[in-house]
Amino acid sequence: MLRRLLGAALVLWGAATVAFAAQVALPGDRATIIFNIRAGQPIERTPEELAAINAQYGFQLPVLQQYLDYLSGLVRGDLGNSYQQFRPVTAIIGEQLGATLVLTASAIALAWLLTVLWVTATAGRGRRTSGFGAAVDTVSAGLPHYWLGVVLLLVFALELRWVPVISDGSATGLLLPALTLAVPLAGFMGQATRTEFERSLAQPFVLTARMRGMSDLGVRVRHVLRHSALPAVTLSGWALGATISGAVVVETVFTRAGIGRVLVTAVNNQDLPIVTGVVVLVAALYVVANLLVDAAHVLIDPRLAKGTTS
Amino acid sequence: MSTVLTDAAPGAPRPARTGRPGGRTRRPRPWSVYLATGTALFFLVAVAAPGVLDTTDPLALNLSQALQAPGPGHWFGTDEAGRDLWSRVVHGARPSLAIGAGASAVSLSLAVVLGSLAALGGRVVGPAVDRLVEVLFSFPSLLLALLLVALLGPSALTQAVAVGVGTAPGYARMVRGQVLSARGSAYVEAAVALGHSPARILRRHVLPNALRPLVAIMALSIGQSIVWASSLSFLGLGVAPPSSEWGALLEAGRPYVAHAWWLTVVPGLVIVALALAATTLGNHLQSLLERRES
Amino acid sequence: MPARPRRTLTAGLAALLLTGCAGSAAAPRPAPDARPVPGGTIVYGHQQEPACVFGGWIEQAYLSTQVLDALTSLDTDRQVVPWLATSWETSADGLTWTFHLKDGVRFTDGSELTAAVVAHNFDHWMDGGNSTAKVWLDGYYDRATAVDDLTLQVHLSKPYPRLAENLAQGYTGIQSQEALETRTAEQNCEQPVGSGAFVVDHWDRGEQIVLRRNEDYTSPPANARHTGPAYVERVVWRFVADATTRVASLRAGETDAVYDVPAIDYGGLEDDGYEMFRYITGGRPQQLAFNTQQGPFTDERVRKAFAHSLDRRSLVETIGQGVIPYEGNGAVSQSTPGYSEEAAEAYDLDLERADRLLDEAGWTGRDVDGVRTKDGERLEVVLPYNSGTIVNADGASILQGVQEQAKATGFAVDLVTVPPSGFFSGLYTQPEERDIAAGYWTSVTAGILWINWRPISEEWPNGNNAAFTTDEFLGDLIDRANQTADVEEQNALYRQAQEHIADHALSIGLYDRLSTLAVTPALKDVWQENAQGGPVFYDAHFVR
Repeated sequence: MLRRLLGAALVLWGAATVAFAAQVALPGDRATIIFNIRAGQPIERTPEELAAINAQYGFQLPVLQQYLDYLSGLVRGDLGNSYQQFRPVTAIIGEQLGATLVLTASAIALAWLLTVLWVTATAGRGRRTSGFGAAVDTVSAGLPHYWLGVVLLLVFALELRWVPVISDGSATGLLLPALTLAVPLAGFMGQATRTEFERSLAQPFVLTARMRGMSDLGVRVRHVLRHSALPAVTLSGWALGATISGAVVVETVFTRAGIGRVLVTAVNNQDLPIVTGVVVLVAALYVVANLLVDAAHVLIDPRLAKGTTS
Repeated sequence: MSTVLTDAAPGAPRPARTGRPGGRTRRPRPWSVYLATGTALFFLVAVAAPGVLDTTDPLALNLSQALQAPGPGHWFGTDEAGRDLWSRVVHGARPSLAIGAGASAVSLSLAVVLGSLAALGGRVVGPAVDRLVEVLFSFPSLLLALLLVALLGPSALTQAVAVGVGTAPGYARMVRGQVLSARGSAYVEAAVALGHSPARILRRHVLPNALRPLVAIMALSIGQSIVWASSLSFLGLGVAPPSSEWGALLEAGRPYVAHAWWLTVVPGLVIVALALAATTLGNHLQSLLERRES
Repeated sequence: MPARPRRTLTAGLAALLLTGCAGSAAAPRPAPDARPVPGGTIVYGHQQEPACVFGGWIEQAYLSTQVLDALTSLDTDRQVVPWLATSWETSADGLTWTFHLKDGVRFTDGSELTAAVVAHNFDHWMDGGNSTAKVWLDGYYDRATAVDDLTLQVHLSKPYPRLAENLAQGYTGIQSQEALETRTAEQNCEQPVGSGAFVVDHWDRGEQIVLRRNEDYTSPPANARHTGPAYVERVVWRFVADATTRVASLRAGETDAVYDVPAIDYGGLEDDGYEMFRYITGGRPQQLAFNTQQGPFTDERVRKAFAHSLDRRSLVETIGQGVIPYEGNGAVSQSTPGYSEEAAEAYDLDLERADRLLDEAGWTGRDVDGVRTKDGERLEVVLPYNSGTIVNADGASILQGVQEQAKATGFAVDLVTVPPSGFFSGLYTQPEERDIAAGYWTSVTAGILWINWRPISEEWPNGNNAAFTTDEFLGDLIDRANQTADVEEQNALYRQAQEHIADHALSIGLYDRLSTLAVTPALKDVWQENAQGGPVFYDAHFVR
């Protein structure tokens, strides 16, 4: 357990360091960028104009000193203040995190629903049905988020008006964004689950259950599904941590607030305290998601408790 | 992007193509393989000799023909400046595929180096590389791409590197697993018993066996890299317009989505078609390889 | 919710594919006998979320105008009228301006509007509180002093007769001195305290800013349509970055008004009964400025050849759907006082002439791609632009058209999209980095010429001079114009300056920047302020 926590801390430190290194390496003088964005005019600035900003953010200090200050802030839970919003980064992230987590959680739930229904209905049902089921998995897994999002928006919000155009807080407003993230994920989980599912169907315990007179659906849901769910669990754990990439696109297409939008804006504005803050947050999410996946594995298959897989 | 999920997911088993219930080998679905081969050939022709498929200049303005719907004369319609979309899609194959292939190359090379080091690096280097891969994994790939674009400026090269680096950790893990299992296999133990040198074992037995599946993975990865790269273009971080790179085309068409659906739908379908063809061929190749092994 | 029948999915898809036109339907019309109703909430869709309410961006000026009152306002003829200043006069030498302030105005934090507070605001802008306000006053402003509670004197180092007009911009909104001095930077960023018709209630970052009516409002501008507090209770300033989504949200009734209507949607919305507003911003239009310091464009003939290679009008009118106005003048837009028609008509498509000029300039060779060469050097020019913030989607298409058209005479235009971060880090600001600079700058007078064309010198660099000119004659012309009190005489000088810019092809125009607004028919009396075309919701009210 201690080992695992230490590993998690190492990952966090690594991610934070990469983010810090990136902001030092980015081209252009940081004070100039801050000044130009505040002014809205991209021109060269004089040293006098920049002096105040340099002093305020300590850009004139040695890089090592800046790095240590940054790390010590991190340890205290202080991610610094945004250059453009003049607010603590923790507050900015805090208020946007909820929306993104809701989006991701619903997307994962929806993906599970789609996968379970589709795989249970089509796997191991003869060549034609199985083949069709697998083909649908492959197609869904290959759909790019942004394109799926734009097409869904075009058809269901702009043309049919079944859901609001601007994604508000409501459940209907959440539907399209969640679906956009869920469909490709369901495709992947389907691909991963289907093989396992078909393999399990041929296992002796299935035959036993059938001989006990259990219905086909009962067998599929009670026995086979459980055995074939492991890869999908792993995938959804990963999706929880790495969802930020998908969220960036989905939040842009559907005009939703969230971490993804904050991140793109911050990178564009080189509002680096926010960028590093998001990196640390995502790394933390990743660590937590990994722990959750391990726990879920043990729940589904107790034999793994003694295993060495991580 | 979730399109990199299967390969990037930690420990997620790749969908195996052998071992169907009852021990029968899954029969390949020829129609899908033929279709995929046809599609891939079409794109290869578009890359090698776009002039065969289309003779017009993809950038030629034709202001009197702006925003024409698909029909005779313009099979895929025209954009806001009257440029022919069919011509742009055909000429866009080269930059799109180049970025996809470049990204795969970057990704797989990194993966082989990191994965082999992690598996064979001994007690110090191995765990250190493991941690590095872990850190890269925890770093959102899109953010990595965003930073690289900010660092290097948007261009096809940046896009390929960004996508390649972003997807490398997933493949690195896969390579690590393959190398470990090859090292633990019976023939390697036999080679050790025969007193062969470690370098020779590595060269002759471990690496060839561990890396063979990568041939198939390469095909998969090209398809995924193209989708990935086009996402960057979509966010305005890719190749500059008026390049006909498909993601850039799609992004350029988005303001007209309510008036000229073809500008969004067509490039999207082309990207999906290519990704599907690559995936199908990759899977097929993989099952062929596995069958030969068994 | 829309009152139209719901179609089935298939019918919807079929309609989509057949017509290629989604979501077109008549606007929900109020009954003919509909009467004004008090209260209510206006949901307004805007394209960009600023970092702060007050600042140097046009996005911020639009917001500031809702919350802060300025000293002056502009009426529909762009004539200056009183706002917080009831009257003003200039000393005979033009160096001292005296503003008489409205009596009894209070800021929303309870503090009083006095001459000392306004003087403090001037110093605040000059100290970096608002860089756009500063750039206007730079070189002219000396100091501001309070003569008594309600009399402010602004001392200039050089006469600036159009000072009152320039103070009508959102950048010069007056804030409570107490708030500026006692609150944190964060508070002043999110909720600046003014005496305006609305106050910032709260800001849901990434989503919207909610403005609440100032119940004690007493200080509307002279060109407002009523007095007392605003009619509506709240304005929700929603950020909807995507233009298609913005228009669709208006059609779906999710917003009551939207900003920046794409050219392609403009006509359709108008036909469907939405109230459309189209304001051509004054100042520098969207133009191309040539690098006169380094590269091929140091030769005037090459600049002229480039201008003659283009059919700018067809390009703008096609891509702009006839909504975006073509602008030939590279110095100021057609809505700017003192605009010169002659400068606008200086260059039209003339390939023969362009070829001749290039031959004369020594660019006689052609390489395999058809690009002209001179002594083995290709006629390659770099045109960087910032996609998204400075140049929108329509603008990016137009620039691609420029690139394509210039090919005909042998120019290879290297279009470079610069990501916002690189752009603001000062990439492509140096003479050796670019040959053409694209960009606009809104203003209420031709005084913008001074900002954009003040000659560059060692002692006094000018990063806003995109052509890198050291032309003292032009600078002197503009400086004299700026200091001329008589309007006719001043405009004559401004015209002369524009013609000088056109004659030497220092810059050529492309199109005029628009501030467009589409409003649902049930919302009446929205208007655009006349400094930059921002929406004003003070007089707005719903009818039912």
